[in-house]
Amino acid sequence: MPVTTCRGALASLARGLLPALLALLPLASSLANPRLADSENCELCHGLPLLSRHDDKGRFRLYEVSAETVMHSSHKGIGCRDCHADIDAFPHPQVVQKVDCGKTCHVNRPFELTVFSHRGEVEAHAMSVHGQNPKDDPETNAAKPGCKYCHGSHRMAAPDQRVQEQAKHCANCHDGKSLEGVIQHIDRHTSHRSAENSLDIVRLCSSCHGDATLMESVNVSSTQVEGFQHHFHGKAMRRGLDGVANCADCHTSHLVLPQDDPASTLSTANIRQTCGTTGCHISPSIEFARSAIHSKPTMESNPVVYVVTWGFILLTAITMALLFSHILLDFGRWVHGRFSGGGRHESE
Amino acid sequence: MRVSDRIRVVGGRREYVRFSLSQRLQHIFMFVPFIVLVVTGFPIKFPDTAFWSHSINLFGGIDTVRTIHRVAAVVMIADFAVHVFYVFFNIVRNRTPLSGMHLLPNLQDARDIATNIRYFLFLSEERPRFHRFSYIEKFDYWAVFWGMFIMAGSGLLLWYPEASGQWFPSEVIQIAYVAHSDEALLAFLAIVIWHFYNVHFNPRVWPANKVWYRGTLSEEEMMHEHPRELEDILEQLKRGRVRRHDDDDKQDGAAGRDGDA
Repeated sequence: MPVTTCRGALASLARGLLPALLALLPLASSLANPRLADSENCELCHGLPLLSRHDDKGRFRLYEVSAETVMHSSHKGIGCRDCHADIDAFPHPQVVQKVDCGKTCHVNRPFELTVFSHRGEVEAHAMSVHGQNPKDDPETNAAKPGCKYCHGSHRMAAPDQRVQEQAKHCANCHDGKSLEGVIQHIDRHTSHRSAENSLDIVRLCSSCHGDATLMESVNVSSTQVEGFQHHFHGKAMRRGLDGVANCADCHTSHLVLPQDDPASTLSTANIRQTCGTTGCHISPSIEFARSAIHSKPTMESNPVVYVVTWGFILLTAITMALLFSHILLDFGRWVHGRFSGGGRHESE
Repeated sequence: MRVSDRIRVVGGRREYVRFSLSQRLQHIFMFVPFIVLVVTGFPIKFPDTAFWSHSINLFGGIDTVRTIHRVAAVVMIADFAVHVFYVFFNIVRNRTPLSGMHLLPNLQDARDIATNIRYFLFLSEERPRFHRFSYIEKFDYWAVFWGMFIMAGSGLLLWYPEASGQWFPSEVIQIAYVAHSDEALLAFLAIVIWHFYNVHFNPRVWPANKVWYRGTLSEEEMMHEHPRELEDILEQLKRGRVRRHDDDDKQDGAAGRDGDA
């Protein structure tokens, strides 16, 4: 078609393009609502809202795994059976095998082309204080967080909007204030187990380590969380300072070991390097590294700091009490002189 | 007391020079950084209070707040250093005797406190008659003096914590952290409650004692606040030892030459 004028060219383009664009519409809508990597259509059942049952022990089990949830997680490109490997029938019988996060995945590491696996993290975790240890009593082992406790399973990050959507179903029975409670409940159980920033990580670790009853039952000190929140890192973090250390920066995420273990990042041999990681502290000395402890000082653990802390509290309280009484007495005398002495000025 | 230019006559009225221009500037260069330091330091001391969030928002974020805190700290430390030099320089130059150092606490202060408490408790109608500095003012001065060492010392340790760890045991850094935070609160309360009462909210001086920028007191104010000093000056005036300046604008450093800062 010979193009004669500019307007003609536009018109012919529009005539040719419009049907083509219309033909692309279904594709566009699928781009806006991307599908889960679910070639076997597990979503046929697991996409049903609130698909659930009560198991043999009477616990409520939710089997709904909506595409929207998984699409927000890091595993959005992973097929269901890459993790749930023992499922080989449709419909499948009751699943007994737990997901092994350390198995080899069917994806390659970018740039390396080696097969990807979380094996390293799983092994580090197993060696850490959070790993299952036959020497510990069953209660302690049960209290230890596994992979899913911190990372969640399908809900790597549950957007608030989704909780609100879910809550619509709750509204069938619950209403008003109790509904708000339910929303908060769901929110707490779906979102805080996925850490996206330092504050989230501190919150996540604190969900157990700040729980005095739980920590007492497994013989772990629970003063660390409060200590951290009173320490510079904790305070500055809450004020939005980027880059101050959170729990995992020093203790690591998976290989959490006690300070007296030579392999720990906090051991005497390693702690300076830990404080110097990612350029936080330049050439830190051992005395500096030791000062970052965030347990609450007590007479036994840290007598010098404990005494000075109380010394300042007493100094402030006594000084202010004396100054304040001086002010009150002085003011009282002025009021007396002003209103009952009869004169404009108090007597000199 | 060394002979000095203590009296000026302005508009036919005697004015008594209390603070030289240099001293008044030292005060300003102390309290301006003080306010900035409080506003930029308390958001970290109280990390969960909504009120101090305004301060962080005002300055545009925690990083800026930390920088401004350190700039203000340098100004305040410099002012303090100038003041200490000023005091020693004047003492050496004027060969100020111990009796001329009016800010040193002495027995008369104890007697004044006792007199004032008796007066407060309606046990007597006699009020203390202060000389150049009352025990109230001496407390203000020495509180700042002590506070400067605590705050600047601990602040520098926290500013360079890695270097501190090379020179001091870790307990010193931890104490610096506690001290900086707690002494800050003590200083803030002492200023806002004690100092502000004595120079602002005390009904005898309300709304403000203007001497901090005028530098002089009227004869009536002297009679009320520093009667013994006034007597001293008038006594020396009689003996011709105090020079009089009529409308003299060469007031700078006049009182400072006493070396009593």
